[in-house]
Amino acid sequence: MRITSKIALVGGIPIAIAAAIAVAAWLLLAEAERARDGAALAVSAHRGLADLTRASDDFVQALPTQRIEHAIRFSVLADGAQATLGALAASEEDEARRAAAGRLAVALGIYREQMDELVALASTSDALIAEMGLRASALVGLADEARARQHASNGDIVATITDDDRRMRLTRDIVDDAQEVRAAFLALEASRARAWQDAIADPAEAERRRGFALARLRNAGADLARSFGYASRDEESAQADAVVAAYADAVERGRATGREAAALDAWVEDVIKIGATESRARHERIAQLLAYSVEAGETEQATQNVAVETLKLGRRTADALAGRDVAAVAAIVEESRALLDHMADLPISPLIQTEMLDAIEGWSERLSTTAESLAAQNALLEEMGQTGLAMLLGVQDLNEALADRAKRIGVTVRQILVLGAGIGLLLGAIAAFLVARSITGPLKRLREDMLVLAKDPAAGIIAPPKRGWGFGRDGRIRDELASMAHAVNVFVTEIARRESDLRRAKDEVDLTLDELRRTQADLIQAEKLASLGQLVAGVAHEINTPLGVALTTATSLEGEVSRLGGAVDGGRIRRADLDRSLARLKEGAGLVHVNLARAAEMVQSFKRVAADQTSEDRRRFDMAQWLHELLTSLGPALRKRGHAVETVCPDGLVLDTYPGALAQVLTNLVMNSVDHAYPGGEAGAMRIAVTRAAPGLVRIVYEDDGRGIAPASVAKVFEPFFTTGRERGNTGLGLHIVYNLVTAKLDGRIELDPRPGSGARFVIDLPISPEGREGLLPAAAQ
Amino acid sequence: MRRLAVVLLLAAGLASPALPAAGKTLVFCSEGNPEALNPQLVTTTTGMNAARPMFDTLVAFAPGAGSLEPALAESWEISPDGRVYTFRLRPGVPFHARGDFTPTRTMEAQDVLFSLERQWKEDHPFHDVSGGRYDYFRDNGMGELLASIEALDPTTVRITLTRPHAPFLATLADPFNAILSAEYAAHVLAAGTPEELDRRPIGTGPFLLVDYRKDVAVRYRMFEHYWGGRQPIESLVFSITPNPAVRLTKLRSGECHVMAFPDPADVAAIAQDPDLVLLQQEGLNVGYMAMNVTMPPFDDPLVREAISHAVDRQAIIDTVYGGAGVAAKNPIPPTMWAYNDAVVPDPVDIDRAQALLAQAGHADGFDSELWYMPVSRPYAPDGRRIAEMIQADLAKLGIRLTLKTADWDAYRLTLQAGEAPLALFGWTGDNGDPDNFLNVLLGCTAARTGGNNVAKWCDPAYDALVSRAQQVSDQGERTRLYHEAQEIAAAARPWIPIAHSVVFMATRREVRGFVMDPLGRHLFKGVDLVQ
Repeated sequence: MRITSKIALVGGIPIAIAAAIAVAAWLLLAEAERARDGAALAVSAHRGLADLTRASDDFVQALPTQRIEHAIRFSVLADGAQATLGALAASEEDEARRAAAGRLAVALGIYREQMDELVALASTSDALIAEMGLRASALVGLADEARARQHASNGDIVATITDDDRRMRLTRDIVDDAQEVRAAFLALEASRARAWQDAIADPAEAERRRGFALARLRNAGADLARSFGYASRDEESAQADAVVAAYADAVERGRATGREAAALDAWVEDVIKIGATESRARHERIAQLLAYSVEAGETEQATQNVAVETLKLGRRTADALAGRDVAAVAAIVEESRALLDHMADLPISPLIQTEMLDAIEGWSERLSTTAESLAAQNALLEEMGQTGLAMLLGVQDLNEALADRAKRIGVTVRQILVLGAGIGLLLGAIAAFLVARSITGPLKRLREDMLVLAKDPAAGIIAPPKRGWGFGRDGRIRDELASMAHAVNVFVTEIARRESDLRRAKDEVDLTLDELRRTQADLIQAEKLASLGQLVAGVAHEINTPLGVALTTATSLEGEVSRLGGAVDGGRIRRADLDRSLARLKEGAGLVHVNLARAAEMVQSFKRVAADQTSEDRRRFDMAQWLHELLTSLGPALRKRGHAVETVCPDGLVLDTYPGALAQVLTNLVMNSVDHAYPGGEAGAMRIAVTRAAPGLVRIVYEDDGRGIAPASVAKVFEPFFTTGRERGNTGLGLHIVYNLVTAKLDGRIELDPRPGSGARFVIDLPISPEGREGLLPAAAQ
Repeated sequence: MRRLAVVLLLAAGLASPALPAAGKTLVFCSEGNPEALNPQLVTTTTGMNAARPMFDTLVAFAPGAGSLEPALAESWEISPDGRVYTFRLRPGVPFHARGDFTPTRTMEAQDVLFSLERQWKEDHPFHDVSGGRYDYFRDNGMGELLASIEALDPTTVRITLTRPHAPFLATLADPFNAILSAEYAAHVLAAGTPEELDRRPIGTGPFLLVDYRKDVAVRYRMFEHYWGGRQPIESLVFSITPNPAVRLTKLRSGECHVMAFPDPADVAAIAQDPDLVLLQQEGLNVGYMAMNVTMPPFDDPLVREAISHAVDRQAIIDTVYGGAGVAAKNPIPPTMWAYNDAVVPDPVDIDRAQALLAQAGHADGFDSELWYMPVSRPYAPDGRRIAEMIQADLAKLGIRLTLKTADWDAYRLTLQAGEAPLALFGWTGDNGDPDNFLNVLLGCTAARTGGNNVAKWCDPAYDALVSRAQQVSDQGERTRLYHEAQEIAAAARPWIPIAHSVVFMATRREVRGFVMDPLGRHLFKGVDLVQ
């Protein structure tokens, strides 16, 4: 598998998992959204149903005339609620909840049917109530009519009674007068019966008595006639006159017979009989009319009472109905029945009694129907309340279920996200680990192989990675590491080839260098001889350029290889870098070869002119004295520029070493200061301080007050041919020789004390004698 | 929207509460309490008239005329020998339905059988119910007349008589032969309240009974399914008002629409009242004073003759009847074909009367009772005044009369029981046949205790004549027989016939369709009120 694929694999797993999570989350969130929508619908349905139940309550409590508005509102709300429930059922995928929504829709349907029934019942009962109102007012109307009739009747009765009374008086007068006529008649007849005896006793007296009796009769007759006249009974009036006159005249003339008397008697008796019975009949009429009048008053009162009673009942009924109090209505029904019975016995005008009875009976019947209807309504209301409550609870449950589901889905989504992310990270990490291993394994081997190669380019080519790690069955390159291994092999092969070439060239150079070293020793010898410097300078000048180039190139190659190795070690190698490194190595190798060839050529010729070498014997000497002598020998060179050298040395210090070499060291240091420290020609102050550093060791500190050594140069000051004053003819060997003499000849140590901003300071530790050499080690550590 | 439509439809009901239109109420100020509501139990026109709105008979007299017409019987056949009557009943005639009874069938032959047999057969389950008196039925001799009553099929009834009986068909038009519901009878019998049959009867007539309160009213309601069609008035009330002056007052004030028998003294005033209509008709009636021939001293023909000479009929007619009537000399009115005008009435002759009374051994007179009607009758507007006048007349003979009366029903019963020595009474013909007077009022059958022959006079010769007259259909022969009977009655003087009155009725102007009936029926069928 190619690295890109692996990396793609490493990157792909989390991406794929993230994508899967995203898809799952999206689906779940969509589900949650649906659940939330469902819950919102359920809430809306709940609100709708609550409104619906309120509308039905309003309907119940509304005035009859306003019920229709509430019924319509209910219908509209019910349509809305039905639509909402329909939407709820349609939106719901869960079978149970869809069924629940379906059940709610069914319950709503029942509720609507109940409401329809209620509306029908209410309209019936409202109609009944209104009808009862009409009946009650009809009753009052009837009572009023009856009263109006009674008032008219009363007037009529008064007129009738007045007339009857008048007639009765007239009749009584007639009867009274007739009685008087009869009395006068009887008196006259009596006097006539006694007339014979009276006439014998006292005729005049008898005549006088007869005259009075006659006069009385005539007067009575006249009164009777007048009374008849008053009664407009003229015929009888005349008859009275005639009958009385006939008898009276006959009596007066003395020719009265029984016939006239009998006629008068019979007539008067008839008059009395008829008059008396008439009078009695009239009296009876008056009594009856008065009785009726009283009765009619009672009737009127009773009628009014019934009307009032009915109105009271009506009011109580309205209250009972408004309170939907079935028991009270039933009680009123009973009372109305009692009133009905009572009414049938009352002397109510028959004209309206039937209507009133009908009105109350109808009212009572209607009321009992209304009571039933009311009971039915109450039952229905209770039923509706239960249905409504069930609906509300149902929709609430649904709502809670949906909200709960939405919440659960949210939780699930979070869990999936967390788990998915965790699994994704884990899988990604594992994949990354495996892939990294599959990459770093071969890379490490490659590096190791390359390091082996670097150590020993001839060790052989790098083994190709294991099959399956970049190489196919056919051994063809499959991944970048394999290509790299292949490239390294190619490179190493090439390097090996080139290096063997280089090695050959280097061997030659080494040989030359050996020669050179020998020459250098010679030079040093020569320097010691104070003539060698010039020689070295010249030789160095000639040889310097090619060797420098070769050296520089080699150094550069060394850096390149080191860089490559580092890259390989760090696993950060890239093809382009490798290619570039190869190109550089190849170019560098060429350059080294050419320049070394030229230097070798030059050294061969320099060998011929090399002078002999001197050596100095070892001896024991007093350091202070010796130092003084040395400075004295250096005097001319120092004084020429006005420099001064201060020495500090403990007395009695004796060294057992090579004084020639030590003199060379100090001379070179002083001359180095003279040459480099004071470029402006100013006078310097040098100081040589000798101290016993440790048992068996002496420390010589040399310092000047010149410009010092640039930090960049500090590491290089002891290298041969390093100089900053080549243009002034310096060889760059002075300090090198110092170093070599101190370390090789004198068995000591030298160090440059880098003091930025101050003059140069060298510290030399030397064994006082060859035996004191061991004490150098601790000093060197400082 | 459908539901909304339903709601709106229902709401339409809310808007207009419908009060059933109050039907018209017609109030008839009647003269007295009916003695019963079942016509089988009554003998007075008051009782008959109270029952009349509720019942139908097999045949009926046309209103205002004397001719018979089909009623519950659609048609009938009479056998040549005059003994077998076959009636075909009108189909589909419903009985009244009330809250307490809903008939399951229409009128059938068994109802006819029930109605007649109840009165006829002593072993009938209802025979003894409500007193078991069927005076009219018995006074008519129906018991002896009937041989059998058969239901040939539900709509055919055959009645066989023991003998030919000329007035039989007319008798069937009498209220006591009204057809009652046998089903209702079974219903009340099963309920253990058989007397309900008579207290709250069920019939087929144009009005059904609502309520009867003594001294107050009888109330009827229009019977919607009356076979003769719906009535224009919804409610009919007989407002019981014994006093004619009070009746008139009520009529004037509009408390009643029709009044019975105004006081003749008020007739002129009624005629002048623009709001009222006066109706009058020579009555098929007779007002009389019955002398109980079973009670001394009235068992003595001389006493009865004396009294007959003492009573001044004309004075009574002039005063009490206000002239609206003719002096009576026969039991039947002069409008009747059998009237014997040859009979000479006794003139008023006190001397002769006194002589006769002295001859009878009552020269000192005697004490007795005269019963007078408590209510105005068509044949006697003011019974008390008549009684008072007779009292005055007989006082001349030394007869001291105590005037007595009782409730109309009790009065009638007292008279029928034969407990009144002298009693004012009267009759209005129920069917126009002389038999209805001469037999019912003076026949021996009616002379039984409880019979309508209150004089309790039974003359075999007279009775033979009257009975004979029943069986012949030749009117000439019947006239001859009745003439002879009238002569016997005039000679025997069980009554003092007083008057054949002109009957007055008054209505308010808005009453339509009320006609006076010669038979004294108050017919409210078809009567309307128009404002």
